[in-house]
Amino acid sequence: MRAAQLGNYFIAGCAASSFLGWVASLHPMARRAIAFLAATAFILWGLCWLLDFSVSGWLKISVQNLQAFLLAGLAMGIIGAGVFLCS
Amino acid sequence: MLLKMFVLSGSAVILWLAPLAALDKKVSWHKSAQGLSLVAAVSCAIGAGNIARKLAEENEIEQIKTRAITADVVDEIATSAYISQQQRQQEAEQILNPREHLERSLALTYDGEEESEPITQHQLAEPEQNDAQNAESERAERALQLKAKGWGKAKIILEVWGVSKGGSPKYKAAEAEYKRLVEESA
Repeated sequence: MRAAQLGNYFIAGCAASSFLGWVASLHPMARRAIAFLAATAFILWGLCWLLDFSVSGWLKISVQNLQAFLLAGLAMGIIGAGVFLCS
Repeated sequence: MLLKMFVLSGSAVILWLAPLAALDKKVSWHKSAQGLSLVAAVSCAIGAGNIARKLAEENEIEQIKTRAITADVVDEIATSAYISQQQRQQEAEQILNPREHLERSLALTYDGEEESEPITQHQLAEPEQNDAQNAESERAERALQLKAKGWGKAKIILEVWGVSKGGSPKYKAAEAEYKRLVEESA
């Protein structure tokens, strides 16, 4: 059941990424906004990856869990955007 | 719940992939349908995830209950085994108490009645001698305690031996024993 739960949340993240891509395709301004959002998220992702021990202490989770969340988030973004762009 | 979770999971995947693959982005209503289907896919996936989380928590609670019941049963069995062992041990001790054990061993050791009788009597008289010694030591202790408190001889003999002062043989015997105890303790 735990695997089903994680899988469903992963699919939700992928679909959300595709939805952001769809929003970006509506208007040039929306594309810029989504690009800014994606750039900000990527910078935050990199900072969290570099400062994993500090962030894990701040969020009160283990470093392994934080890295798993970060990798899952990156995978969701890549897969969702990839599915939208390749379709 | 389980069926609902699987239906929602399947719907989420279909709503996510099918419109993007089948519909044309250049047609306006196709594009709108893609957006709606993506929102629906996210909703379905989150709903299925929540159901899966509830089921996982219920499973964990059931596993904890099962472990607790198993531990209770094991504890119960261990306790009953311990109690039955103690009962068997007590029964064995009752059966083989010292006097019977002695009698049995003597009966096994000596075959002739003439030889076994005096030894058996001697062995069986030992507890009675021990009782007499215990009573004497208790009397001595009590008498010395009273003497230390400042009681008189006649009063101590009356208290400990239960004999009043006079010329009776019992009083004389008690007096002699009292004197002997006092001399021994001095």
